[in-house]
Amino acid sequence: MMTNNKNIQIQKIFSQSEVYLLLIIIIYSVFVAFLNPSFLSLGNLFNLSKSSASMGILAIGVFVVLLSGGIDISFTAIAISGEYIAVNVLLASGVDNIFFAFLISCLVGVSLGAINGLLVSYFKIPTLIATLGTLNIFHGLLLTVVGTKAINSAQLPDCFKAFGATNVFTLTGSDGVRYGLSVFTVMFIVIALLTWLILKYTMLGRGIYAIGGDVEAAERAGLNVSRIKFFVYCYAGILAGIAGIIHVSLIRYSNPTYLVGTELSVIAPVVLGGTRITGGVGTVIGTILGVAMITLLNNSLILIGLSSFWQEFFTGLIVAISVSLSSYQSRKSMGI
Amino acid sequence: MLGKYLKETRTTTLFILMVGAFVVMSVFLPGKFLTLSNFQSMSSQIPEFGLLAIAIMLAMLTGGIDLSVISIANLAGVGAALILTGSLFPQLGGGYGEILVIIVAILFALVISLLCGLVNGFLIAYIEAPAILATLGTMSIFSGIAIVITRGYGITGFPESFLFIGNGTIFSIPMPLIIFIFCVLIMALILNKTSFGFNLYMLGSNPIASRFSGINNRGILVRTYMLSGFYAGLASIIMISRVNSIRPGYGSAYLLQAILVCVLGGVDPSGGYGNISGLVIGIIMLQILQSGFNILAFSPFSKNVIWGLMLILVMVLNFYSSSFSKRPKKLKIQ
Amino acid sequence: MAEELLKIQNVSKSYAGVRALDNVNMSIGKGEVHCLVGENGSGKSTLIKIIAGVVKPDEGEIIINGKTFRNLRPIDSINEGIQVIYQDLSLFPNLSVAENISLNQLIVEKRRLINWKEIKDIAKKELSNINREINLSERVENLSIANKQLVAICRALIQNAKLIIMDEPTTAITKREIDYLLSVILDLKKRGISTLFVSHKLSEVLQIAERVTVLRDGKKIGDYSADELDYDTLSFYMSGKEVVSSPFSYEEKHGRKPMLEVKNLSKKGDFKDISFKLKPGEIIGVIGPLGSGRTELALSLFGLNKPDSGEIYINGQLVRMDSPQKAISLGLSYLPEDRLHQGLFLRQSVQNNLVVTILKKLLNKFKLLDHNKKYKYAKEWVNRLSINVPSLEAAAQALSGGNQQRLVIAKWLATDPKIFILDSPTVGIDIASKNNIHNIIKQLAREGMGIIMISDEAPEIFRNCNRIMVMIDGSIVRELNTVDITEDELFDMLSSN
Repeated sequence: MMTNNKNIQIQKIFSQSEVYLLLIIIIYSVFVAFLNPSFLSLGNLFNLSKSSASMGILAIGVFVVLLSGGIDISFTAIAISGEYIAVNVLLASGVDNIFFAFLISCLVGVSLGAINGLLVSYFKIPTLIATLGTLNIFHGLLLTVVGTKAINSAQLPDCFKAFGATNVFTLTGSDGVRYGLSVFTVMFIVIALLTWLILKYTMLGRGIYAIGGDVEAAERAGLNVSRIKFFVYCYAGILAGIAGIIHVSLIRYSNPTYLVGTELSVIAPVVLGGTRITGGVGTVIGTILGVAMITLLNNSLILIGLSSFWQEFFTGLIVAISVSLSSYQSRKSMGI
Repeated sequence: MLGKYLKETRTTTLFILMVGAFVVMSVFLPGKFLTLSNFQSMSSQIPEFGLLAIAIMLAMLTGGIDLSVISIANLAGVGAALILTGSLFPQLGGGYGEILVIIVAILFALVISLLCGLVNGFLIAYIEAPAILATLGTMSIFSGIAIVITRGYGITGFPESFLFIGNGTIFSIPMPLIIFIFCVLIMALILNKTSFGFNLYMLGSNPIASRFSGINNRGILVRTYMLSGFYAGLASIIMISRVNSIRPGYGSAYLLQAILVCVLGGVDPSGGYGNISGLVIGIIMLQILQSGFNILAFSPFSKNVIWGLMLILVMVLNFYSSSFSKRPKKLKIQ
Repeated sequence: MAEELLKIQNVSKSYAGVRALDNVNMSIGKGEVHCLVGENGSGKSTLIKIIAGVVKPDEGEIIINGKTFRNLRPIDSINEGIQVIYQDLSLFPNLSVAENISLNQLIVEKRRLINWKEIKDIAKKELSNINREINLSERVENLSIANKQLVAICRALIQNAKLIIMDEPTTAITKREIDYLLSVILDLKKRGISTLFVSHKLSEVLQIAERVTVLRDGKKIGDYSADELDYDTLSFYMSGKEVVSSPFSYEEKHGRKPMLEVKNLSKKGDFKDISFKLKPGEIIGVIGPLGSGRTELALSLFGLNKPDSGEIYINGQLVRMDSPQKAISLGLSYLPEDRLHQGLFLRQSVQNNLVVTILKKLLNKFKLLDHNKKYKYAKEWVNRLSINVPSLEAAAQALSGGNQQRLVIAKWLATDPKIFILDSPTVGIDIASKNNIHNIIKQLAREGMGIIMISDEAPEIFRNCNRIMVMIDGSIVRELNTVDITEDELFDMLSSN
């Protein structure tokens, strides 16, 4: 009885597929650490968590959209628009303040997200097609209206560089090297936590699960389906805006052609984390584990002797395999 | 009423729009639009994304989508390029001459594209993976392989006679156009006159009923995605021959255009509906606009904005036409 | 009669000039179990929607708990304790039992935050109020249909239901589950909660209701006490037609050699040890509740559900039914249970629906489709079964239920089958069409076709078959000839099982 209860407890925190994913991550990390012991050092882990924060935040946005039964591929264009517009406004206005940058980027994000939300919730356009359209509209407009010129590190306002170097705390290793936990990582964790709270403890969050499960039942229950969908795309837009600022602060270079085209590398971890593309099923923890797995893989290819050219191939392979596994499982559980 | 009108006269409306676009371009771009060279360049561009659009249409007719067509075209192109430049099977060139090399290269590209289609078909028909995700994954796999093979660089310098496919003319008609017309006719025949085509439409409109009616759903799906891959392979041959090179990632802008042309041509993304004549009119119309924008020296980005806007606009119109013709059957209870 | 809970007075409603309800009166007492029956299109669903406040009547008034409403809004209806449970139950498959039970109430209360303890407590309390137990954290998609219904009932009760309206609640559950549902309803009755069943099915109506209201063509035919009705009188009230059905008599004129023989066929979880023979010209009725394995057996015979063990012989030849294609080539046809999803391509034309099974016959010598031939074939079959269609190009969804079913039958007859399996051939079809379809089936048998008819309506089986197999829990528990028993004996036998 006791062990039974314990099992249920563990199941509550991690679903079965998440346990498998966690195991794979652990085994693979040990394998990589075996090839290169420094891989599992705290310093490297801090670094990885810093560099994957913007991907993680984007992934959470995609996760929420998938949960509601849609898909969004325009988030890269939103992120780069928010970032590039913010950088340009800061340069033009002379205000060198990271909060101002976040404000602008989030405003851009939420407005563009609202356009997606409108197309999906009011005009009922299939989400893939709607966001494929807006991906091109947003990015095209950015390049035509705002410009195509890249802004290099020297020109970039100082606040981004300072923000990129901010650590929440630093540790000094036995070899005297200082490791810091970046503020990026903390932001990712806070956003993940916030998203989890919204999904778990608000009617809005349960509404997102509900419309992902059965739209018609949600309507009959009195949920405002259009408003929930609208929120979902706005939320994904805001997260994209935040991720954009983190991205530019990380690489200290603002190029309006970046990010767009990398949609799959963000969708991959979400799918890998067990989120069902038909909506209604998926967890924040699964998404975080998915992000961890993809980050791990991308950063260890060279360690295991493969050039970075393999990255795209492996991302695709992971998506194909995880989609196949989950389809196969759901088929088995349906008894076909 | 408006909706019903839109729906029933879809192809006619589209045809009128196409003629309208043609007239507008001819009037506002005098001496630039109505020239032989413009028509030749238009008709050599149509086939590339036209064939890719047909490939995507096939998947859409089954209720799925094929996002991997451009990656398939890339991989097939790389395969052909390897043979054409003698990196693969160099002994071919020696004793047997250029023509054999070219034939082998084309066959190799087509075999690759059929295999890629087979992978998609297997994932979708047998594993029953959702088409969006399956082809999103294979999209990266196929272009990933192309990147690994080429290490990200382009391959250029194909035999002179191979370039005829993409650049030659017969009686001033560009070769790509001839190939395209032939491919369109074959596809029209397949869709309208064969039992495969009939079953494809039935499967797309209700896969359960088609299975219960004795249609081999899995067989049809696998064949559809293989055919889709095959058309992507054909597009790649024209593409690499026209620009005399192949680089992974080439043609990625075509995905938007191809999907745009499909919905513009009346293909229902949820499956079962759409015909090749609508698609062809959509393709021509898009090309007319495309060349007009080229003459006006629009940047590729601003063209993307216009394509994106058109895609959304068509879908919004579809929304109105379906919400007018279908009585809302939803029940709202507070 | 007990105190009145709901009273409907002189309610009329027209849609685009068509009178859907014509001056209807009805009343439901506190704690009463009432049945509303009528054929499809009789106005049942309009009446429910009016009671739920979703549809406004053109005339008349609705009195609930003594309050008169001229303009009843959905929220009024809910506040007065009226809860509708639709046929699809409107549950969230991906959410837990507890959440499904409690969420709607919290939405109505306009809550913004979720208290999980409260959700669980509410659900637990309501389940214990009706003395039932379900694992609260189980996802609803993993429940049986009966338990899903229970969840939907609990959800209604939480919203302080005084009247629960259940739309076609018994079509998808087994006999045992129906009994279970009835016991729950009786518990509710003790608590003074009324139930209104809405149904077009006849047999179950009679065992559930205290009173029955019959609608036909938007008019009320009358209120009856359940014990004064039997199958024939009720179907007469519903259809307005005296159904003259001649019982089927099998003549052994097409030979005694079985065309289909099944030996010890088993499939884990579906059915076990099924053996029977079908001779040409026979109609075997398979009767058993949903979930008894009847449909699964039919699917196995048609190559859609691979059995674990056992043998199938066609004309004495051992065959492996591994696909519908194989089954069709061996002369089998299968009319599926779910006409709309499994039988028809709703948005495709009548013509395409008809020829989908016989495409091979329509190819010319170049293996290309001959569209003239296709048109001719379709026309011929539409005429043969007198399917009423606006045109051959019309979408199948534009047809009435009876015509749709004849369309599906025609598509199979076109394959010239030797053996025809019909699964619930008359579900959701008006009585006149029902009779017509029965006559078609009997005529086919007289011409030598072997027929297996699956149904859960005893009268349908009794009047149209020469042999009956009773299937319970995956096994054939009885096999008998219709000439050896009376309809009442069959009824008794079924309800005792």
